[in-house]
Amino acid sequence: MNKTLVIARHEFLTTILRKGYLLTVVGMPLLCAGLGVASFLTRSMIEQRMAGPDAVGLIDRAHFVALTLGDGINQNTESAYSGLVGLGKEKTYRFVPYQDLGAALEDLRRERLAACYLIDEDYLTTGKVSTYTLEGGLSSLLSSPGRSQLYNLIRASLLKERVASDIFDRIVNPGHLSEVSVTEAGQVNEERNKFQRVARFLGPLSMFILLNISIFLSSGYLLQGISEEKQNRVIEVLLSSVRSGQLLTGKIIGLGAAGLLQVLVYVIFLFVPTMAVFRVIELSLANVAVSLLYFILGYVLFAALMAGTSVLGSSPRENGQLSGIWSLISMIPLSLIGPLSQNPNSTLAHILSYIPITAPVTMLLRISLLSKVPYLDVLISVVTLIAGIYFAVKGATRVFRAASLMHGKRPTLTEIFHWLREA
Amino acid sequence: MKIRSESIAIRNVSKTFHSTTAVDDVSFDVSPGEVFGLLGPNGAGKTTLIRLIMDIIRPDSGTVQILGHQFREEDRNRIGYLPEERGIYTRLKVLPTLMYFAMLKGVPTKKANENARNWLARFEMSGLENRRIQELSKGNQQKIQIIASLVADPDILILDEPFSGLDPLNARLLRDIIRDLASQGKTVLLSTHQMTLVETFCQRLLMVDGGRVMLYGTLDEIKRPYSNNAVLVKSDADYGQCDLIDHYVPDAKATKVYLREGIAGNDFLTWLLGRAIHIELFERAEMSLEDIFIKSLGAICE
Repeated sequence: MNKTLVIARHEFLTTILRKGYLLTVVGMPLLCAGLGVASFLTRSMIEQRMAGPDAVGLIDRAHFVALTLGDGINQNTESAYSGLVGLGKEKTYRFVPYQDLGAALEDLRRERLAACYLIDEDYLTTGKVSTYTLEGGLSSLLSSPGRSQLYNLIRASLLKERVASDIFDRIVNPGHLSEVSVTEAGQVNEERNKFQRVARFLGPLSMFILLNISIFLSSGYLLQGISEEKQNRVIEVLLSSVRSGQLLTGKIIGLGAAGLLQVLVYVIFLFVPTMAVFRVIELSLANVAVSLLYFILGYVLFAALMAGTSVLGSSPRENGQLSGIWSLISMIPLSLIGPLSQNPNSTLAHILSYIPITAPVTMLLRISLLSKVPYLDVLISVVTLIAGIYFAVKGATRVFRAASLMHGKRPTLTEIFHWLREA
Repeated sequence: MKIRSESIAIRNVSKTFHSTTAVDDVSFDVSPGEVFGLLGPNGAGKTTLIRLIMDIIRPDSGTVQILGHQFREEDRNRIGYLPEERGIYTRLKVLPTLMYFAMLKGVPTKKANENARNWLARFEMSGLENRRIQELSKGNQQKIQIIASLVADPDILILDEPFSGLDPLNARLLRDIIRDLASQGKTVLLSTHQMTLVETFCQRLLMVDGGRVMLYGTLDEIKRPYSNNAVLVKSDADYGQCDLIDHYVPDAKATKVYLREGIAGNDFLTWLLGRAIHIELFERAEMSLEDIFIKSLGAICE
């Protein structure tokens, strides 16, 4: 077997059998599944507790509320999320008129009512409405049951006899809102509600987060591995068997494969089930392919940079600190996520896309935000990334070869520049 | 340019790191089947020489020939190396680790497995194949590192302080294995500070200091200039009566007798035999390698 592949295989197998790796790879989907189950159970419990009475009491001392109007005005109270899985519809309450506050409160105490509203005699001048709810109930912490319905009912009652019926209808029910998005190319997309529009970005955005985590985890493993090998002197035995370039390449391939496996596990155990449940979440093949391309290129670049700096310190801890500079630089696009999200095609976005070290994070972010993959930018950034990788790998190999055999002494900047210039 | 079919042939090699000359115009050969000693104080240039031999670093000038030719990539597979600063993957299991080191030298998987098991048996470690290295005793960890340098069946074996950390039994086991390897025609380069080891083990040696060759040759060639025409004698004789003696130093073990210039050891032996006395010991008084080592270094310092 080719020596590079022997190293890659060894690195892959030893990494995927690490406790830390297994914990991240298996633990993350389990954690997400656990959170999902916990959230579902909590929601069920809340809904159970919210189930309670479907009636609210109304004592109208101002004598103007027309309860008969209630049926026609509360048909459009779905929450933005109701299209998701049928959950989240706001509960519609039935208003029960009371003359006597005592009787209403007795029914509230006996849990026949979810709440009770008292409209003051001088409501028209003061606007005073008192709400009565049971103390200690979960519902008392949330907005009062049926409040928005009551307000609609009050508005309708006040306007009914004062405006024309068509105007009354529009005031009570201003419109059946539908949102249609238009792409940059002018293509009109099907009607989506707000949540569906948000959900369209969830897939690519999750992909962006996932790939970034994997890039930094995998290159982190590389950094840790090399630092340990330098510290425990295995590196000298390895370099007596293989060239430094072979060693680095093998490590980069092996740990990159471990990173890809991690992504694959997440996709299978997190993405696919999530997409199956939340059908509105989209992830196009082109999006996945381009994202994976940036994952690979981004990983190779960071791995090479990390490998180059992972041998400069006198201890694994110091190596980690030195290599942290690459993580910080690469995270610049994340600190600019606000302006980048607002305009993913801005000049800033383009500049960051063409600088090798910021290109992977920027492009992964832009791809997740744009409706269409910007292929020209992909081409330019991939070319600059490949050029960056070429120089990073070359430089890292030179620095690695020289510094990995130095012990107890940190190289000076002059020495590092000297190694980089060496043929 | 082919020099000789030596296992290792170093010619006028120099290596400088910035302003520090680590190796300065060094030449030496090591033959197949030879156990060769590489000596020198700390920082003398031994490790640099070893790295030059293994092509981990390249010389600024001079040539390094391995197995009769300029270093080739495949020569890495024919050199086994045990560095002084031991390193091993302590969290991994014994057999996969040894197989990995063998495969890095181009040994196919099946053969790597076979070699690893054979060497484990040879070092009396069968049954530990699936144990994590960190679970082993220090001595056994040391043996795993030695096996890692042997597992690819190399033609040249470079061992840097191989006996450090080994108990007497394991040290004897390793000595037998090194002798065995040499008898099979393997070349063993032994870098050590243990002079007695070199004296009993090595046919020839190279001593370096400050990157330069201080001593190079067979043990006899190196020791002869330091013999001072003296003999070690244990007998009943009264050395004060002998005209052949310049002076003598009595000791519990034997008396060190310094002969006058021009007097051979045989002349003094004839004189002793003529006295009709009991002679328990008579041998040339050689300076120990350790003394030569210290004396040579002292000469440099002066």
